[in-house]
Amino acid sequence: MSTIKKFEKPLGMRDTFPETYEKIETARQIGRNFLRSRGFDFIETPTLEYYDTVGKASAIFDARLFKLVDSQGNTLVLRPDMTSPIARVATSKLLKEKIPLRLAYSANVFRAQQKEGGRPAEFGQMGIEIIGDKSVFADAEVIITAINLIQEFGIESFTITIGHAGVLEGILKDYTENTDQYETLRKLLVERNYVGFEEAVKSFDLPQVKSDALLQFINKATHLTTIKDIEQYVRKNDALEDMIQLSKLIEQAGLSEYISFDFTLSSHMNYYTGMLFEVYAAGSGFVLGNGGRYDGLLQLFDSDVGATGFSLRTDRLLEVLPNKEEQEDSTVCIIFEGHEFSKALELATTFRNNGERVTLQSKDGLLNEEAFTKLFGRVVYVNQEEGQ
Amino acid sequence: MTSELTIAMPKGRIFEEAYQMLIDAGFNLPEEVEMSRKLMIEIPEENIRFILAKPMDVPVYVEHGVADIGIAGKDVLLEQQRKVHELLDLKISKCYIASAGLPNTKMNEIAPRIATKYPNIALNYYKEIGEQVEIIELNGSIELAPMIGLADRIVDIVSTGRTLKENGLVEYEHISDISSRLIANPVSYRMKSERILEIVARLKKILN
Repeated sequence: MSTIKKFEKPLGMRDTFPETYEKIETARQIGRNFLRSRGFDFIETPTLEYYDTVGKASAIFDARLFKLVDSQGNTLVLRPDMTSPIARVATSKLLKEKIPLRLAYSANVFRAQQKEGGRPAEFGQMGIEIIGDKSVFADAEVIITAINLIQEFGIESFTITIGHAGVLEGILKDYTENTDQYETLRKLLVERNYVGFEEAVKSFDLPQVKSDALLQFINKATHLTTIKDIEQYVRKNDALEDMIQLSKLIEQAGLSEYISFDFTLSSHMNYYTGMLFEVYAAGSGFVLGNGGRYDGLLQLFDSDVGATGFSLRTDRLLEVLPNKEEQEDSTVCIIFEGHEFSKALELATTFRNNGERVTLQSKDGLLNEEAFTKLFGRVVYVNQEEGQ
Repeated sequence: MTSELTIAMPKGRIFEEAYQMLIDAGFNLPEEVEMSRKLMIEIPEENIRFILAKPMDVPVYVEHGVADIGIAGKDVLLEQQRKVHELLDLKISKCYIASAGLPNTKMNEIAPRIATKYPNIALNYYKEIGEQVEIIELNGSIELAPMIGLADRIVDIVSTGRTLKENGLVEYEHISDISSRLIANPVSYRMKSERILEIVARLKKILN
């Protein structure tokens, strides 16, 4: 390993400079106001959690967790997601006060990076969780809130793809002969390796009917505009009924144009039990956010209430936000000479009361006055000659 | 009009083969493309843009979404494990990855050394069969390694087996079949689904 240079940061850690900071903060404000207006309460959880609780429950691969040891010898993790800490606090405390809970968060999460030092290992997530409601209406609320939130940001070109863990499980189990085959196919779908899926199906020596059904399924089920198209592959069951209902609710909300169905959609997170979805927006090559029903996670915290939610990545949000006209909020710079300090203070207060940003700078403290004053929209000098 | 589709293609023979496949699939592409030193080819008739990259780099462009789809060797996909969707086996430039070495040799018992251009594929393979090895990454002329005593085995692409033979090596284990694959960026796959699915459907037709 080479020696660490003075300016270096740990792999994947980034500084946020003023311009970006303002953009993030603006996005957070928009999100916060919007989600609060929908009845979601914001919550904050600790940055450090026990490995044995949140670390293990989290869907993030072990190798990507930042681990530390506390003075008692317990292993800690930097929170890798917000969903598992919220599940922890909800099951231990909040659910006793209110059920269902509608919680929201905007916080940074940590996932270690091994590849390409440039990828962020710490990034912001904004999202909601509805805990203690197993009905399909809660799922619909999550998706509708996600769509409306993205609209609130002024993003026009986006789409949400919805799948269902239960429907997929039903189809894969019906058409395979054993759990090994089922697991293999599921894993290939998580990787979105459709070629591998077809090869695996062919290699299983399944009865013709079954392998044909699977091959047809993989060809057709990735892009469905209506839920009807899946019905031929799956027996009537609760999971499917759920999805039919969900699709109707989104239609009633007038938001059908933003969604499509992909019943091959699958997540490495095993705790997703019901519908799950991903959010894509033009302008970024990476998924903007995802969500779903994760009753299974609550079970890890000894609770059998339902939970559903979504999160967006704030760093990717910045990539897809429409470019607003940079409204240079001009800052006034007051440069004063030592003995005019009180006069300068007075002037600054007047400007500030008018809603202006004011920088107060003594002339004595300036090394290069010309370079410094260039950075401001307006410069006001307080000295005796002007007799302000 | 639909939005422009950017396709990342590996330079060289695979480009020509894949380009011909697209023509066969009914896309309106000029028969002759002048591509001597060009890195980008615009096809306004189809609203398609090709970018020409090193084969190893195609998945990078696609993962970052600067190319919507691309054509990449399965060897590269296995080696890099990038977040792209693997849509279609184009069945061109078929070959396989195998281990090879000098005839009638056993692997060194203490620390068998494996020379390869594909450190991840090699590592994963030997891990899976429970063999502890030392991986030596080389950039070319891999066959040299066992001949000169740098490694016990090599893990490399084999297409005809001639290179191995000419250098007095024999194949030991077949690791994975390789061919060119059509890959897609996860976001483009959704945002430009109509165009991408049409390409998949039309290519599928000529493949079968």
